[in-house]
Amino acid sequence: EGKTAAYLGQAVAILIYRDFARFRFAKEKLQFNDAVIRYGAVTGPLQRDPWGSSRFVRVGGPTPYDDDVFSCLKQGPVSPSYDKHEPVWPKPARDGDLGAQGMYHADTIQYELAHPPAEWLVLTRNYATQSGDTAALEPDNANGWYDADEQELHLVVPTQSPQEVAEGAAAILQRSRIGMKRLFLHPCFTVGYGSKDHCTMPYYGLLAAVYGDGRPVRLANDRFDQFQSGLKRHQFSMGYTVAVERRTGLLQSFRAEIVANGGGRANCSVALTLVGATSAQSVYYFPKNDVAATAIASRAIDSGAARGYGALETLTATELMMDEIAGELGLDAIEFRLRNVLKTGMRSAQGAVPLGTQRAETVLEQARDHALWTGRASRKQVYDAGHPGKYYGVGFACIQRRFGTGAEASLAKVELAPDGRIALSHSGTEIGTGTSSGQAIACARWLGRPADALDMAVTEWPDLPVETSGDPHSISQAEQDRLAKNPRWSPAYASASSASNSSYYFSHVTREAARVVYLHGLWPAALAMWGRDGREAAREVKPEDARWRDGALAVEGLELLPLARLAQEAHARGLVVGAAVHAFNRWQWAEADFVVDGASARAAVDALSVRYGGGAGAAKEALSTTPNRYQVLDRRTVSFPPTQNNNAMVGYNTVVGTLAEMVVDAASGKVTLLSHHTILECGNMLAPELVSSQIQGATATGIGLTLHEWLPLYEDGPGNGTWNFNRYHLPRGSDVAVWTQTADVLPPLSDREPPKGMAEVAGIPIMAAIVNGVAHAIGHRFRTLPVTPERILEVLA
Amino acid sequence: MILQTRPLTVTINGRRYGPIDVPEGLMMIDVLHEMLGLTGSRLGCGIGICHACVVIWDRDDQTSEEVQTCITGAGFFDGKRIRTVEGIARRNDKGEILALSPVQQAFLDQFSFQCGYCTPGFVNAATVLIERLKRAPVPRGQVEATVAAALEKHICRCTGYVRYYQAVRDLILATPGLTRDAA
Repeated sequence: EGKTAAYLGQAVAILIYRDFARFRFAKEKLQFNDAVIRYGAVTGPLQRDPWGSSRFVRVGGPTPYDDDVFSCLKQGPVSPSYDKHEPVWPKPARDGDLGAQGMYHADTIQYELAHPPAEWLVLTRNYATQSGDTAALEPDNANGWYDADEQELHLVVPTQSPQEVAEGAAAILQRSRIGMKRLFLHPCFTVGYGSKDHCTMPYYGLLAAVYGDGRPVRLANDRFDQFQSGLKRHQFSMGYTVAVERRTGLLQSFRAEIVANGGGRANCSVALTLVGATSAQSVYYFPKNDVAATAIASRAIDSGAARGYGALETLTATELMMDEIAGELGLDAIEFRLRNVLKTGMRSAQGAVPLGTQRAETVLEQARDHALWTGRASRKQVYDAGHPGKYYGVGFACIQRRFGTGAEASLAKVELAPDGRIALSHSGTEIGTGTSSGQAIACARWLGRPADALDMAVTEWPDLPVETSGDPHSISQAEQDRLAKNPRWSPAYASASSASNSSYYFSHVTREAARVVYLHGLWPAALAMWGRDGREAAREVKPEDARWRDGALAVEGLELLPLARLAQEAHARGLVVGAAVHAFNRWQWAEADFVVDGASARAAVDALSVRYGGGAGAAKEALSTTPNRYQVLDRRTVSFPPTQNNNAMVGYNTVVGTLAEMVVDAASGKVTLLSHHTILECGNMLAPELVSSQIQGATATGIGLTLHEWLPLYEDGPGNGTWNFNRYHLPRGSDVAVWTQTADVLPPLSDREPPKGMAEVAGIPIMAAIVNGVAHAIGHRFRTLPVTPERILEVLA
Repeated sequence: MILQTRPLTVTINGRRYGPIDVPEGLMMIDVLHEMLGLTGSRLGCGIGICHACVVIWDRDDQTSEEVQTCITGAGFFDGKRIRTVEGIARRNDKGEILALSPVQQAFLDQFSFQCGYCTPGFVNAATVLIERLKRAPVPRGQVEATVAAALEKHICRCTGYVRYYQAVRDLILATPGLTRDAA
């Protein structure tokens, strides 16, 4: 009877109480009491195939800029079958199918590494990172009530992915016996670090609400519950082999076997492991690579999209290896990195050319010249001599990581009131990173100042009908072409707040909506106002000649026009005063042609609706048919990014490097950070304060994962319900060099360079920087995290 | 099951509550949340570690201190005066906020918090610190160490602490009477 639990700590029941005090005292009796659950026969854990596995093989051309011989971009990743729960890769064959061809090249790479040319140094190392808790301070929770008379369900949930919850909740209720006519979803401002994305708690809350006898039900984890059931960080094991030519110090070949433990329930492990595998190349050019990655199923708690999303783990391993290779070659660690840095136009490990100007070289050069790096040897000598039993060290690491998921979609609506007030609605949700502030600021590019009113996490868009179907990551080109004929169709609807996607992707739709209002509302209003003076110059000016200055539109030689006056004019003339847009990005934006208020317009969006001012005539009024009087425009043509872009895996990158200065205490084994310095490139910042606060926060998380945070995977792990912050040490102020940390952000390449996602990347290089610094301090290279005092004492003993 | 109760009378943010019958053994945070409608104090860990739930206990000797409400029974507060985060800003008779406290304003101005879950605890800790320094100023050179010691127990996952600490440091240095020249 019954069945084997999928993982340790799996929930078995939801108990609903009508009285808080009784709930509280009952919980005290149930918590930590294993006897309340009656178990059946002992079966042992489930034995299952991995959640997924892929292999990324590339053999480059004669130079980094030439066409590849074989690559993921051209031929696709290699997929295995499974035998005895292990991946079985296709049989290699030079002239076989694409999988066989890929394995032929993989075999060639392996053979070469096993039988290298005499001038190669080949290093093989194993690395491991730990399971951990995202430790978002607001635990998972959900609130809801079901009105049986009206057949309406209300859900108040903190979630990173409101659209996913809306669709999931509707799907569950459609298949249930209870009737439901309407679902009201109220997504909240929250925090997650991945634990509230693809999370089951909203659905548990839904079920509790349905069984709540019409009463509102509140379901909330306490911290023990959160450790026991919240989504965890994947534990990674990584075997890397890297070849480098001794004479030139140039990297030749990279082979990796990556295994990520996804736990007992399928979440995002497959995608996360692929991101980890395809990020491992970091800021370097390798002529050849063979990276196999597997997400395994286990009896551990299910793992989710924890901050860093797989790349944190693989990049840390890469940066530890780069330092060790530099040491083996007798090269300065940054000089070695510079010799191998990926430059603009070079191909990635997937065979794609990363988009935009690559700036890792600049970050490395700044780090090389920083005083923390240049003076480290002499400072160590002086410090160690003056502090017996303490060892000084400086470490460095530099990484680049993609932002976005490769299938980003979002919606925004910008409306201008007659008095010039700006209202912004957006599908993105605020998770503490400043998304809402950033989106408000993004309006200023075209409207001269930030939005006055914000409505985030909007899931209902009656003014902008968009249809979607299929999986944007796996859809065929033919299918996409067929579906694109429907002017309402897009490959994806609305993205969660994740993958550092707000500053670039969310801002894009905000700006595109504001741009439509500017070009088809404010600009013609301005021309009309300037024209009233009878000035000939007004006929000559173009939109690109104008600049916003202190909230007024400025064109040389013409009257300054404050936003409020322009808005009033646009409303009076019945021009465009509101725009709702939907956009899709697969490492490039979908573009479409529309006719807006009689004028042809091309925009980097795939759906557009506009609202006209009150002075619009009957003809425009008749076209404005949505509930809020928008005209839905049929796109005339559309160009979606090709599906082959899915094989690129990575398109947009952000680069960051960190220097860390520390002391290792031989008596206690404790690592104390004295200072750290971060160098980041992220385009034009929407708000410098938000960027710096993300650097600071992400770096603290990286410090925690390097030195403190750790969860056992199995029987002693959080599934047993006994874990809390007394055992799981989150960094405190004294752990992070709170007064002495610094950061530089590279100036943007131009004033038009868009803002780039950076909230995840900033916390990654501090990890390898610390471990490399410990190696500098005590001469031992750790390859498993966290580096605890106990492990340091073992080494020093 | 019949729950035993004990009467609780407590002054919170200048307003007297009670006597109310509180089930014996209930922690103060549950009373604040469930019986008094004061939900600003956050339950973070439930075991007194993270300090998101602290309130300010105003003693009769004019000193004050932080108390973790997640591990302190409601009975402890009987007859006592406390402040929660709801009582930090200046309000009018209708309860409308007239002005944020200097600590709250400093946190806003310096982008100190992100998700905000730990913020009530930091507001209360910094408020207690500022009030202590009014009674006993510290040398200017010790301000950073004083801030670090006062806030060390408060856990934040988002911010890395920098903007919290800097905001409190800058507020102390800018407020006359909180510091003195080195002795």
